[in-house]
Amino acid sequence: MSLPQDFFGRIIFIIQNYGESLLKGAGTTLLIALVGTIIGCLIGFVVGIIQTIPVRKKDNLAKRIILKVLKLIMNIYVEVFRGTPMMVQAMFIYYGSAVLFEINMDMWFAAYFIVSINTGAYMAETVRGGILSVSDGQTEGAKAIGMNHFQTMLYVILPQAIRNIMPQIGNNLIINIKDTCVLSVIGTVELFFATKSVAGTYYTFFEAYTITMVMYLCMTVFFSKLLRVFESKLNGPEDYSLATTDTLAYTSGLLKYPSKKGVD
Amino acid sequence: MKENIITINHLMKKFGDNEVLKDINFSVRKGDITSIIGASGSGKSTLLRCVNLLENPTGGEIFYKGENILSKKDESGYRTKVGMVFQNFNLFENMNVLKNCTIGQEKVLKVSKEEAENKAKFYLEKVGMLPYINAKPKQLSGGQKQRVAIVRALAMEPEVLLFDEPTSALDPQMVGEVLSVIKALAEEGFTMIIVTHEMQFAKDISNHVVFMHKGIILEEGTSDEIFVSPKCNETKEFLSRFISC
Repeated sequence: MSLPQDFFGRIIFIIQNYGESLLKGAGTTLLIALVGTIIGCLIGFVVGIIQTIPVRKKDNLAKRIILKVLKLIMNIYVEVFRGTPMMVQAMFIYYGSAVLFEINMDMWFAAYFIVSINTGAYMAETVRGGILSVSDGQTEGAKAIGMNHFQTMLYVILPQAIRNIMPQIGNNLIINIKDTCVLSVIGTVELFFATKSVAGTYYTFFEAYTITMVMYLCMTVFFSKLLRVFESKLNGPEDYSLATTDTLAYTSGLLKYPSKKGVD
Repeated sequence: MKENIITINHLMKKFGDNEVLKDINFSVRKGDITSIIGASGSGKSTLLRCVNLLENPTGGEIFYKGENILSKKDESGYRTKVGMVFQNFNLFENMNVLKNCTIGQEKVLKVSKEEAENKAKFYLEKVGMLPYINAKPKQLSGGQKQRVAIVRALAMEPEVLLFDEPTSALDPQMVGEVLSVIKALAEEGFTMIIVTHEMQFAKDISNHVVFMHKGIILEEGTSDEIFVSPKCNETKEFLSRFISC
């Protein structure tokens, strides 16, 4: 196989011969980013919620101590994983676990684990911020009709917090799509790793990375648009339908009226 | 003599060094319409918030039907009996009007969805908000929001309704629509405690008026005793600013 002389020729050559391995790499990248973001969000929610549980003087001592200890552990977790580079964490966890605990961690497990736990640390702060962003009045309204802390969170605060932090969740997903490339240091064959191999084989660095740039960009743009659509879905309809005043007509349908813009 | 439903003894509340409530004593009988009046910063709202345990009193006792609620663990159960309407409505922004009025019944009182919706619609119709069951709070005007907030409290079938300056965030026209709803409830015999700056309204509606000044109850009595022949100079001075009285 001879390598074409011109730039576009070489790009086509790479796509024809290595397109499949690049696509596979991109698939891996997406999979790790998506799974990592989802699990990271779950971790973030648990940590964020626990961090916002109010400790009151009224509560019994055991509960207060448990909460204090839990919050301390979670603070340490957040600070450590937010405060060190993911690439270093990857090396530390993957190789360190083998040396320290003689755990032969599966590379794939390590990849998912590292991205998840890293995202979790960021999301914990995001969720905490999201909860704080919902006004106190909402909590008071919920308490005034007798909801406990758990119910208040579940039905009133979190739905609003999630809406507020959606852009940040999207941000995290996009960062993860890009940052999974650091997992190449532990041998995860994702898009960057695949590109390195392709580029190295024929010394076509510029061409190979041009393709990879475009692929990364496509993935991130696609997901940022998708999240926007999802966000507007969460916002609910702009209009509301006015129910007829005839109480017998409930089931027979509702009239559609445009929203009252500017009335607030 | 009707039974006391809420009795407050030596209630105190401090925010840091700031003593907002000093030795408050008063009681509310079943069916009473109690208005709490006084200048801003006199502790009216704090008092009302203490009654609903949104603030933890620093000292004193609050009895609800003879039971000291400050020593009780079950705040939720008590709060379902004492409904609260806020100055800033505090409707749940993520729910539509109907859901705002059913969520408490469903999740706290464990009423079936159907029953909860029927009750919510019954009260929503009373306040003229039935057509708006599908609207979100941000799509409503202030007066509409407050009427929904009243229904949200009513739907829990409370024994006492607390109103914390329910019309202070509203323009004059909306004030009217909310006050007429409260008035209708008063005529039905609900027990209510109202913190308000609407003096004419307080005068017309209440049979028990409490005048607060700098964290203490300076004077209390019937509507006529306070509004027509007040004894304390502070009360006279305060009321003189409301010319219509």
